[in-house]
This record gives sequence, C-alpha cells and structure tokens, in this order.
Amino acid sequence: MRRGVCLRGAVVGLLLLWLQVGFVRADEPLPASERFAKLDSPAPVSFRRDVIPMFARIGCSGRACHGSFQGKGGFRFSLFGYDFKADHEALTAGEKPRVNLADPDESLVIQKPTLMVKHEGKQKIREDSWEYNVLYRWIKDGAKNDADEVGQLDRLEVQPAEILFDSSTEPVQLRVLAHWSDGSVADVTELTRFRTNDESVADVSETGQVTTVGPGDTHIVAFYDNGVTPIPIIRPVSDQFGPKFPKTPAPTQVDRLVLDKLAKLGEIPAPVCTDEQFIRRVSLDLTGTLPPPQRIVDFINDKDTHKRAKLIDELLDTPAYAAYWTTRLCDITGNNPKFMGEKTYRSQISEQWYDWLYKRVAANEPYDKIVEGIVLATSRDPDEDYAQFATNMSATLRKDHPADFADRAYLPHYWTRDNMKKPDEKALSFAYAFLGVRLQCAQCHKHPFDQWSKQDFEQFQAFFENLKYGLDKGDKEIYDDLRDKAVAAADNAKNDKKDQKKEAEKMLTEAVRDGKVIGWKELYIDQPRQLDAKHLAKLKDADKKKYAGRVITPKLLGGEEVVADQYPDPRVALMQWLREPENPYFAAAIVNRIWANHFGAGIVEPADDLNLANPPSNKPLMDYLTKQFVAHGYDLKWLQREILNSDTYQRSWQTNPTNRLDDRNFARASIRRLPAEVVADAIKQACASDQDAASCYSDLDDRAIGPKLNTGYNGGKTGDSYLVSLFGKPARETNCDCERSADPTLLQTIYMRNDQDMLRVIDMKRGFLGSLDPEAEKRALAQRRYEQELKQHERKMARLKELGRLDEAPAAPAPPPRRELNLDPIITQIFLRTVSREPTAQETSDARQSIEAAASPIDGLRDLLWAMLNTKEFITNH
Amino acid sequence: MSTHRFCDGFLRRDFLRIGALTGVGLNLPGYLRLAQAGEIAPSSRGRSAIFIRLGGGPSHMDTFDLKPDAPDTHRGEFKPIKTNAPGVEICEHLPKLAQCADKFAIIRGVSHTLGAHRLGTDYLTTGNRPLPSLSFPCYGSVVAHEMSSDPDLPPFVAVPNQDFDATGYLGVEYGPFNTGSTPKPGRAIELRGLSLRDGVTLADVDRRYDMLRKFDTAFGPAAKQDKLLAGLDEFSQRAYAMLRSDRAREAFDLSKESPAITQMFNDSGFAQSCLLASRLVESGVRFVTVNYGGWDTHSDNFTRLKTRNLPELDAGLAGLFNALAAKGLLDSTTVFATGEFGRTPKVNGRAGRDHYPRAMFCLMAGGGVQGGRVVGASDAKGEGPLHDAISPDDVAASFYHSMGINPAKEFHTPSGRPVMIVRYGTVLKDLFA
Repeated sequence: MRRGVCLRGAVVGLLLLWLQVGFVRADEPLPASERFAKLDSPAPVSFRRDVIPMFARIGCSGRACHGSFQGKGGFRFSLFGYDFKADHEALTAGEKPRVNLADPDESLVIQKPTLMVKHEGKQKIREDSWEYNVLYRWIKDGAKNDADEVGQLDRLEVQPAEILFDSSTEPVQLRVLAHWSDGSVADVTELTRFRTNDESVADVSETGQVTTVGPGDTHIVAFYDNGVTPIPIIRPVSDQFGPKFPKTPAPTQVDRLVLDKLAKLGEIPAPVCTDEQFIRRVSLDLTGTLPPPQRIVDFINDKDTHKRAKLIDELLDTPAYAAYWTTRLCDITGNNPKFMGEKTYRSQISEQWYDWLYKRVAANEPYDKIVEGIVLATSRDPDEDYAQFATNMSATLRKDHPADFADRAYLPHYWTRDNMKKPDEKALSFAYAFLGVRLQCAQCHKHPFDQWSKQDFEQFQAFFENLKYGLDKGDKEIYDDLRDKAVAAADNAKNDKKDQKKEAEKMLTEAVRDGKVIGWKELYIDQPRQLDAKHLAKLKDADKKKYAGRVITPKLLGGEEVVADQYPDPRVALMQWLREPENPYFAAAIVNRIWANHFGAGIVEPADDLNLANPPSNKPLMDYLTKQFVAHGYDLKWLQREILNSDTYQRSWQTNPTNRLDDRNFARASIRRLPAEVVADAIKQACASDQDAASCYSDLDDRAIGPKLNTGYNGGKTGDSYLVSLFGKPARETNCDCERSADPTLLQTIYMRNDQDMLRVIDMKRGFLGSLDPEAEKRALAQRRYEQELKQHERKMARLKELGRLDEAPAAPAPPPRRELNLDPIITQIFLRTVSREPTAQETSDARQSIEAAASPIDGLRDLLWAMLNTKEFITNH
Repeated sequence: MSTHRFCDGFLRRDFLRIGALTGVGLNLPGYLRLAQAGEIAPSSRGRSAIFIRLGGGPSHMDTFDLKPDAPDTHRGEFKPIKTNAPGVEICEHLPKLAQCADKFAIIRGVSHTLGAHRLGTDYLTTGNRPLPSLSFPCYGSVVAHEMSSDPDLPPFVAVPNQDFDATGYLGVEYGPFNTGSTPKPGRAIELRGLSLRDGVTLADVDRRYDMLRKFDTAFGPAAKQDKLLAGLDEFSQRAYAMLRSDRAREAFDLSKESPAITQMFNDSGFAQSCLLASRLVESGVRFVTVNYGGWDTHSDNFTRLKTRNLPELDAGLAGLFNALAAKGLLDSTTVFATGEFGRTPKVNGRAGRDHYPRAMFCLMAGGGVQGGRVVGASDAKGEGPLHDAISPDDVAASFYHSMGINPAKEFHTPSGRPVMIVRYGTVLKDLFA
C-alpha cells in the first residue's frame, strides 16, 4: 500500500533519522523483555512505541476496560489506543494525574495494575516484570509524549510470512518487527496483539505462538501501532495436496488461481454442472430472472460447444441484466425516496436516479465513468447557468415529452439526500459505496482492525466540507422569482399560512407538469474564503475549538494530503485517486461485490469490508481480477464474462468430503436463497401466461427490479412491498451490504405456503393455470348445477323408497363431462417454470397420479404448482 | 461461516451464538441452535406482554393525571373520581378502571422532547430516542428475540399491524404476525399467512404438503448437511405445525371464549382486541400489540373523549385487567399502555389540546408491577415533571425488567455496532417492590 508523506513530514523524518541513527543501529533487534529486563537497562522508553502498545496488549485500552467511552474508575484511554495526545493527557494532566514524576512508584498507573492499591481490573503487571520497568522508566524520564518525534511506522513485518501445517503440526512462534520511518527496526513481538480469524483452524496465544486446531485455512493477524499484518495459515484438508492434487482442467486464469489454492489445501473441486443447472444459475445471477421454459429446452438441445459463453453474451444484452445491476447500484448508493432532499418530487427523483444508472449500465459505460458522474456531481451540468439548469430540470418533470434526466452528465441526487447533509455522513457513505471500506469505527476511535485513526477520518471528511445543497449566492432571487411566477395564477385568498403553503406546493407541481419552469435547490461547491497561512494561524490560536475543524487538510485514505487551492472542488483529487491503477479499494470493491453476487461470498467477506485484518481468501485471484478489470478500462461486462465463463463459476453444488465444509475457496457452488426482488419476480413469472413468461427479460414494467417497483418502495406493508421487505430487500438507510438479507425466516416460509397474495398469484387470471382451461368458470358452474341436481335426485329417490315406488325412479343426472388434459406436457411445463428442469420419469408419474386423484385436473395442477413453488429447489439458486 | 470481527473485537460467530442462545430465534442460526439445545427456561417473572398503543397521544390532563386545582385555562371539563386504590384518583369517565385501579400502576411525569407523531411513536415503541443512523427494534421484536415460544404459535402478534412495530437492527424475522383487521365479537380473526381462506381447507393443506414432500427431494442427503437447506426444512415443518394447529386456530377465534370472560368486554373494536390479546397470551403467544388510535384531539377534545375514547378505553382496559386476573395470568403478563406524548395543558381556541411531549402518562400492570400505585408526578399545571423527569427510556427499562429481560443487555447490529436494548433507561424501582 502506498503511504504518502508530505514534505514537512519527510523533513522531520530525515532529521530524526539523523538524530537516532547513532543508538538504534542494533544488528539484531531485541525483544522488549530483554530490552527492559532491568530497571536500569540502557534502552530508551518511548511512549508511542512501548508504553501505549503495552497498555493495548495487556487489555487496558479495550472496550470492556478503560477504552470504554465512559472510561472505568474515572480513567479513560482512547479505544484501541492511537490517540496519543488524549492518552498522554489522561495519564499526566487533570486534577488527579495518574503519574507521579517525583516518585514513579506513587503513580496510580503503576499502583493499580500491579495491585499495590485496589484495582477492579485485577492484577495486570507484576512488580518484577519488564512491563513494570517500562512504566517506571517512562515516568522517571519525565513521562513525555514522543508520538510526533518518533516518526511513522513504515511496515509491520511478521516472521514467518506464511505457515503451512502440512508435514508438521508443531506450534510455530511468530516474531514481529516494526520498521519505522527513521530506519530503526524493533522486535515488538511482546508489544503486539494477535488474533486468529478462525479459531477452528488455528489459534494464537497472547505471546504469538500459533497452534493448528483443524484442517482448513485462515489468517493470524498482528496489530501494533497502526500496523496490521495478516499472515496466511494453511492446513490441508486431505492428503491429496501439493503434487498429489489430481490433475484438473483449468481453462481460464480464474480457474488456475482458484485451483492453485485448492491444491495447497488438498480440496477437490466439484465437477462442472449440467446445462439445466447452468442456465438457471446464470440467468438468476446475471439478470435476476428465471429462464423461460422454451429457452431452457432450446439451450439443452443446442449442440454448440460454445453455447454457455453465447448464453452469457445474450443475457448481458438483455434489459433485465441492466435492471438487476442497476438495482444493486441503487442499493449501494442509497436510492431511497424517503431521504430525497427534494421532498415534493421524491418518487420522481428516485426514479431519475434509477434511470440515470440504468442507461449507463445498459450501455456498458466504464465503471469509473459512471462513478465519476456521481462523485463529481453538481446539480448544474458543465456550462449551465442557474436559469438554464432550472429550465432543464423542470423539463424532466413536464407531462408532455419530458426531457430525459438520464441524459444529464451528473447524478447529484446521491449527495442531496437528507442523510448526507454532514461531511462525516458523506465520508461514511462514500467510503462504503465506492471503496468498500467501513470507516464508522474511525469516526470515534482508532479502527480496531485497520490502520485508520480518528485523524485519518477527519482528514478524509475534509473532502466534502464545501459541498452544499441549497441556493448559491445570487440564485435565490431567480429561484423565488421563478417560483412566484409559477404560482402566480394561484388563488391566494386563504389566510391560513399552512394552507397557503400547501396550496402553493400544489400549484408548483401542476405548473411543472404543464411545462412551466420553477426554481430548484442545487448541489454546488461553496468556495471558502481564502485565508493566508498567517491569518489562519492567528484564528487558530484565538479560537482553537471553533477552527479546529476548519483547517483540516483533506487526505486520501492511506494516501497523500491534497493541497486545497489546487482543487477548488477537492473531489476532483478524490476521483483522480480512485482512478490510479494502484488504488487499493476502488476497483477491488466492485470486483469483490460482483464476485460475491455470483458465489454467495466475496473473495473478501463480508464483501463491503475491505480492511487489512480481513484479507482476501485468495489474494492472487483478487489481484488478478482487479488489475485486469482496470486494464480493460473498468469494463463491467468483461468482468462478468471473465467470472462466469470459468469452470469455477460453473461447478456443481455437489459436495465431496474435501470441500463440504469450505465456503471461502470456491471449490463448489454454494446454495443461496434468491434475493428478495428475484423471489417476487420468480413467483409471478412461474405463474404467468406463456406469453408473459417469454418476455421476462425485456418487459420491466411489472418487475421488482424494474424502475417502478424498485424505487417506489418505501417500506410499506402492502402488496409486493410486504413480500420484498419480508425477503430482505434493503431499506437503503445504512451504509452496509448487510442491509440486504439472504437469511431464510419462518415468516417467509409462511408467506410461500399460505399467504393470500401468494395463492392469488397462483390462480391469477390470464395466468398459466387459467390458460389451461379457458372455460373453467363455465365448467365450475356446470359442476355446481350438477351437484344440486344430484342432491335433488337423491332426495327424490329417498322419498320414492319410503313409498315403495322405486320403479318410478327417474334416471340419475349425468355429470358434466370431465375436462381431460394431456397431463404430461403440462407437468413438464410446471417443472420448467419453477425449478427450470424437466421432471424425471418417476416425478412425472407421481405427479400424474396425484392430479388424477384430485377433484379436477386443474385442482390437481394447482396443487402441483403450489408444491413446486414451495420446494427448496425453487427458492434457492444452486 | 464468516469469521469477520466487529468493531469492538467481537466475532460474528459469537454474535450469532448469542442471538440464538437466548431467544426463540426465528432466524436460521437461532432456530438450529435451539433445536439442538432445547428451549431455554423462561424467567420467573412476567412471561408474556400486551402492549397497547394509544396512537395520536392521549391527553394526560383528562385521563390519569387530572389537575382539579389548575386554572380554568388548563383544567379542562372533567372531574377526578376516587378509585379502589387509596389516594389514587382518575377521570370521572373511567369508572370501570377506577374499580380495578388496584391492578395497575400509573406513571406520571413521563417527559421527552419529540412532538411529532412518528418520532414520538418510535421513541415510545422502542424505548430509545430515534437516531438517523440506527433503527431500533420495538418491544415485541426484542421479546421475540429474547424469549422462546411454542413451535405451533406465532410469538409476536399485532392487532392489527399499523407499520409501527419496527424490527430495526434485529431484522424482519422478528416482526409481528399481523391480524388483517380489528376483531369482531364472537368471530374468528384472520392472521396473515396462517388463516385458511377462499375455501382452502385443512385437507387441501395436507394434500399439498404430501405433494411437496414427494417433489422436494432434489438435494437428496445434502439437504441435511447444508445449513440453508436444513433451515428451510425446519421452517417448512414449523409452518405446517402452525397451519395445522388447533390451538393456534382457536386462539384467534373469539367464539371459543367462555361467556364468563366474554361478558367482561363490550362490542367495541378496542375491547374485542383486548379480549383477543388475553386469549392469545393464554394460549402461549409471547407478545401482543393492540393499536387503539384516535387520540389526536386538536379540537373538540372533551366531547370526543367523553363520548368515544374514554368509555371505550375504560371498558377495554378494565375488561383486560379483570379477564387476565380471572384467568390467573396477571402475574405472568405485563400490560403496558402508552401514547407517543401528552397534550398541551392549556386548552386551545378550538376546545382542543395539541401535542405535548414534556408531560405524559403511561400505565403498567402485571409481571410484578405493584397495582394501585402512582409513580412519578407532574407539576401543578401538568406542564412538566414535578421533580425528576421520568424518561421513556426509564419506562422501557422497567418494562423489560418486568419481563425478566436485562435492559442493559448488549446486541450487535448487522454492521457490528454494539448497542444496548435500552441505551439510557433506569428501572423505576417504585413500580415493583
């Protein structure tokens, strides 16, 4: 990862290097326990390098102890300890300093953890230990904060860099070396926190000893200062690893990289899936759509050896592909009508948002270009003045021949949401959507699993500080004027202020619909007053608090500081940074999300949590796809093809003993519940007429992934929105992919089994069942009449019998003719419609028997359709 | 399984484990674990709850916190009457409740600052002041999450659901089963997804399930090994048990109630909802929400209260307390009634009262709550708390306490943020001992 250092930092670094080079050039770095073995050891004690990491390592700055926001026992550390200034103040300042410079042993910070005085947190340090020596010496030497002087941590090295428990299962001791920007190297093993990412595979002791627990792979992560270094741990799951791994075809680079990892693990991949399985899986994953019955049959009968690649190409060109991925992009960018800054037209704005993305996804515009249209958005397109902007924006909402919002250069709606008003909200959303990074933790404290400090967060949010939504100077007049004109016709006779306002809104809406121009609030860059450095420094001194937030220099995450006056809109620098080929997040985030869509898990999992302690399960694979995606000009369809044409994607879900428990190395397909919108559409499609089912890839009007139902969703409980919210459609309220849930729940099952909406869809008019018997109503009527006649007849017979006049009995009424259907092809249809495959001979015969036993063939077929919709095979992608 | 850790070093796996260990866990990991581990013993205190939402915000001054000595501009038309609890007085239009005041406690001087319906409702329905960045679960979702329930019964029912029972960060699996409408005397009520309608019979359900078993075999033995598939099968069986359950069906059928109980209620929708709630709790449902709106009396406050709201509230609530007592369920059932705020002490120009969050009341009964008590107080003109304010958080904490749920217990949101069930509340000790 690139770590930029501003010029000033570099100078300080060089100076320090020169100062320190004399006494840190030890040939072999000694561990802390040796360096501080004696109270009078010569090694200097550093607040940043030794004291703070030691507190973190012992657990003092953890959330359950003094790291808690309320502190503990009146004493608070910054959580996970990276706020050196605050921690130093907490220890040395205030009414009751925790250190006693005159007599270090009288310091509370020594007396408490050693239990010289009562300590709720029990004994943490023994008096004859090196930890005690560190504390004592630090206080005795003046308890100084050297955080800025000691320079930055360049690199945290862990030895060995990888552990393979193949031939030996003996525990392995880790060694951790801190490489500082001054060139010094320290053994910080005893000052490092360790953790395992999966304790069923490997465990690590507090001292850094790694033991294998079970087969599989995971990482052990080392934390010291802001360094986070994961090292891979592998223990094969079978004896078929390395040279003994069976030869497996690897037609693509993706396959080669996946198989490399599987070979290390001795994990045998599942075979490639059948054509039936493939067409269902790829159609659902790529277009959110069940393949129509006829397409399945055609595909199976197709003899072309390249038919899978051709199918992928065909699906990529469908409107359903664009709609499905637009839906996902709407999730990530937070398209929710509830939050639109423009209240009156919130649902139209939401639809514009969808349309804008849809147009670009359908045209396969490069991903970086799409994002640029969002990142650099202002309400005005380039070269528009306010009046032109108001005219053009109004035109998108007029009734007759509305202008297409999607034709505009930018999507400002992303920034104009209510929940994006503050710079910190913008920073969180931006990091989530375009970087796949969760910065939330760093908003309040050092990120526990990544390098981000609170200061990093503050500097990052500085990119968004002059982005405003409202009216720029001078435009207020035009705005008011336009609004006044538009409602000039309004009858303002009413006195009630509230009503008047409401009435005016109504007038405005009508005026816009009729093609009049009204004023709009806009997203714009507010140019800050230029202050020279001297002036700034003065202000800063005068009122530290007030200006504390003002003078923060924008700094790219893990990158360089940005000089603000070069960039009137600092987002330009941000966009440039996203595009740099070495950017560790931008391309990786979308690659990983698309991969996660197809495999049920990202290469980094959770897919929106790229952080140092959460490394990819297959780094070469992640690197390859990311680099190639960038090299191919951020071509989304290229990425889709590259993934979907691999054997890795096309593997069966069938497990074998070596891959059964693995869900992170892609040795088989994982079985996943369909996403919410896909469930809604699939139910409808399975029950639709042949004609409607055939146009499913192109007709989006009625689709949950289409523009209408997609954006109109506001969490209601009626109609389709009940269904999609039940199946975990994200509300698009929080910055987390986890908002979309694929977990099954009891309420979902009950919906599928017996909800009125569900049963109604099965029986919908002009649906599949209805088309089988167009005269069903007439027939039902005849059946009822027959039943009545039969009852009458029986009564008559009973009376005649009583009277002993059975010889006069009239003939029994004849039942209406039973409509006989040719069942087998219909049964096949129902299977193709629901589970996208033909029934086995046994299934056909079972189904036929059940249907023949039913009151009528339609009743029997309805039961079959119900049963198939309720199978696990229907509700999952497999 | 993912082993991602949360912000505070908490392993996602632990999160799933905690979610499952303690609750009915209608989500998958919870269910599977529960199936393995057996149910968790219910706590000794209140084991069911009925939450009555008085939507619109009832006037405290005209119901349970009268100020006969306040000036004319404030006092209102109604007079206080004595109750069967010494020293406790309530409005003259609540005579039936006055006769059973020993069964419930009145909390006065409850105070907050959110004067909009939605925000106030979210606050009083979750016990947490609403935040833009985090949506909190309602009481019913927390109870469904924390307490086990019988497999053939829904744990959480809303009569009828009005979209206020947010599941928040716990997720939709802890949402309520909704009755489609308000119950009517002597009739069975429909429950979304569970009622058999449009001529569907139990025989149809059986026949379809037979068919399903025949055709749901594509995964073979893998269905038992794969967590998702095994979970879907579990839910399928539980859904079947619910659809088939006579107990569930009868719980929702008011015609099955004994006349001795039925006669404690009148025919109004609210009273019948209370009757249904008592039946559901008796059958083993954990949590019932009853919605009774119409309290937003900006104009004509006194006429409306006198002619409709108060008589209905009186009959329904008194019926509920008496019925629960008669069924021996009052000790094990917490009843909690509240609006989203009180109403302005000063009467407005249209003989109405407007939104007023600074002073409101709540009622609580059962589950160890000592009846016949008044906890807290508002000042002389009902304009705010007399001494220390009681916050909605405190009331919520007390409610959870009565259910045997620790209000300070910590959950983790799906994105990993640690958050307590009630973030700031303290249990009101005076309600209990």
